[in-house]
Amino acid sequence: MTVETGTPATIVDTIQHEIPGIKVTKQGERRLRIDVARDSLPALLELLKGRLGFIHLSAISCVDWPETDEFELVYHVWSYERKTLASAHITIPRNPGRFVSVYDIHTPAGFYERDIHEMFGVVFVGAPNLRPFILTSWGGPPPMLKSFNTREYVNQTYEWVDYQPDWLKDVEAKGGGVEK
Amino acid sequence: MRPENYRPVSHPPSHEYELYFGPNHPGIEGNYAIRVRLKGDEVQEAIADGGYLHRGFEKIMEERLWIQNVALVPRICVPDPVPMEECYSRAVEQLGGLEVPARAQWIRVMMLEMSRICAHLFTFGGNAATIGFYTNMFWGVSMRDLFLDLFEEITGARIYHMYITPGGVRRDLPEGLLDRLAALLDDLESRLPDFEDLFFSNTVVINRATGTGTISAEEALAWGVTGPNLRASGLPFDVRRDDPYLVYPELEFEVPTMKDGDALARMMVRKAEVLESIKILRQVIARLPHIEGPVRCPLPNPLAWNIPAGDTFARVESSKGELGFFVVSTGGAKPWRVHVRGPSQMHAVQVLERLLARGRLEDIAQIMFSLDACPPEVDR
Amino acid sequence: MTGSEKVPVVTDQPETCRVADAEEKSLLRKVMDNFADHCRSRSLFVLHYCTGCGAIELPPTITSRFDMERVGVSPMVTPRQADLLLITGYLSVKTLKRVILSYEQMQAPKYVVGFGSCTINGGMYWNSYATVKRLDQYIPVDSYIAGCMPRPEAIQQVFLDLMAKIDAGKATAWQDYYLNYDAYLGRQMNLFGQDWHTPTDVVAEAKHYGYVGNGTTGEHTALLDQRATWSLDTVPELYPARGRNERSRP
Ligand code: SF4
Repeated sequence: MTVETGTPATIVDTIQHEIPGIKVTKQGERRLRIDVARDSLPALLELLKGRLGFIHLSAISCVDWPETDEFELVYHVWSYERKTLASAHITIPRNPGRFVSVYDIHTPAGFYERDIHEMFGVVFVGAPNLRPFILTSWGGPPPMLKSFNTREYVNQTYEWVDYQPDWLKDVEAKGGGVEK
Repeated sequence: MRPENYRPVSHPPSHEYELYFGPNHPGIEGNYAIRVRLKGDEVQEAIADGGYLHRGFEKIMEERLWIQNVALVPRICVPDPVPMEECYSRAVEQLGGLEVPARAQWIRVMMLEMSRICAHLFTFGGNAATIGFYTNMFWGVSMRDLFLDLFEEITGARIYHMYITPGGVRRDLPEGLLDRLAALLDDLESRLPDFEDLFFSNTVVINRATGTGTISAEEALAWGVTGPNLRASGLPFDVRRDDPYLVYPELEFEVPTMKDGDALARMMVRKAEVLESIKILRQVIARLPHIEGPVRCPLPNPLAWNIPAGDTFARVESSKGELGFFVVSTGGAKPWRVHVRGPSQMHAVQVLERLLARGRLEDIAQIMFSLDACPPEVDR
Repeated sequence: MTGSEKVPVVTDQPETCRVADAEEKSLLRKVMDNFADHCRSRSLFVLHYCTGCGAIELPPTITSRFDMERVGVSPMVTPRQADLLLITGYLSVKTLKRVILSYEQMQAPKYVVGFGSCTINGGMYWNSYATVKRLDQYIPVDSYIAGCMPRPEAIQQVFLDLMAKIDAGKATAWQDYYLNYDAYLGRQMNLFGQDWHTPTDVVAEAKHYGYVGNGTTGEHTALLDQRATWSLDTVPELYPARGRNERSRP
């Protein structure tokens, strides 16, 4: 692996040179924000990993944007040599909610993609394992979607403690009560 | 089920069998399960099964105010809650443009390092217990309890402190606390040789832990291993030094590493880190009295506190590895999305599955504890 | 309420909890029972199952600082040999299934203690879709400890209280499970689905212990009887078949 040394400025140059139409913003000392078209993302991750030393996939985050009917996927990659975290943002349409897996580039993606699949219902084509992990007893929709209302679900599914049951009110009306 | 309804299932004859390891099992750290396929006592395949501690944190955080979430975050990782508070608070500070006063930064470092010592002492105990050394567990846990007493004095709570808030810390330190901390550190340091004699230089332990669950340096990088587990494979990476936060650049400390990457190396790295944390705490004790000023920057009314729109990724080195919070705000009173990246999400699932598949039945507990996997962090 | 006299709590619900032949017991049997209760209260084995965050306070309680063992409480690894099930905090639905399995495997008399506000009313996860809000709907509970993370002192106190209760023969929540099994099963089925069942034959156990009441059988246990084709591989939760790569989108 050849690693080109340099400041974030040269990272920016390299990326912009290789992948046209990409927007790189420097956010803070060790943070880069990259907005990229979704089709270029695997190429970008390859480039970052192979040529610039961003070998550690820190996380993949998914954000649900119901207004634009899109999911935003954010790939956080960290370079141990350059001490920089690059966050690549892409958006995918909520329907059909499919994207390619990057497991072959970064092994940790296996877990995150499985997690996102479970919580948001995004399907990653080529992911090694999208079996349910956390929600094996769950029958409802992917819970992290904004359209899923957890309060409503809780009210339907579980019963609250009734601190003032009817029979107690009757007893209290007669002057009794629960012994304190 | 009624016995008359019971129908035995017949399996084709095989030398293999399946074992459900956990969740109700003393060799499992927390509430977690592993399904292993065995041939004799050699593990053929291990499948991690989580979700027993799932509380839907990321969902319920979207439902609460920015300040209310301070009470939720420490519960994400039970043995080591302070880094969670720090990480969440820093994400909010980055989004809201808050400046943490110098004194609060030092106090936060102190809390983080105390929490790291607690978590490592707890892991010593767990690690020792998986090899059958219960004395060590008793020592580790009771030593940790003395730190919990200090936590209680500072914050009012033993485990979940909710002390670090966006913009600083909740209140200043009580009178004379630093002296008591210094005395406790001396005490801990004087007892570490006992741990050493009983456990770390014990032939039984060394034979048992050498070569168990080995991760090579290349594998560690490829699998996304972080924290002490990565350093045990010989790679000196530490978020505190590489991506510094708070006042860590002003502090002197080493990043201990080991070469072998096995269970023993991981224990040794943790032991060395306890010493480094003691070193850091001593520097804090020396500096903190000379730093005056407020411990919290002025905050707007927390009930109507809107954080400017944006997103940020905050990272902290917890006792288990790299901890990250990705927080998205749309300018409202509640977060739009909080994503927690816990180090154990790698260690307890993909790494554990791969390591176990090379191991034996009797090593499962040891490998899991030596990775210091924290199930609540995986399940969230 | 003022004054020292107790006003009885009156309900018009049918009396389902029948205290098992208390009057009919012979004197010798009573003496033996009291003696057994006394002995039981002095040696409690706690099932080693950490269901939630409260479990982090158990090691300090067990080990040298607070040392439960001096009052005769010690951890036990298998449900069959344990007397006491500690529900150390919130229960996700997935864990609740395992807890019910473990609880049914324990031999009577068995006791349950709920830790922290999460087991009482959902605690700080009141709006979480994943955790159950009331433990006592699914298994009978003897005592609760209040607090969000109860301290070791509180845990010790609850052990002492429980021991006193057992000694006095008042820790009888486990009988309630047999007497009202149908209602418990019904609530479990509401949560887990109609085909929920466990490997333990609770009705037969109720007969064995002599705690068959009006509520032991009913519409829900009738469901259990109807199914004649259950076999081991449907117990209790299907692991999805290997290799299934995609889940159909809702
Ligand atoms: S009551 Fe508090 S400490 Fe106990 S499980 Fe609930 S959140 Fe955790």
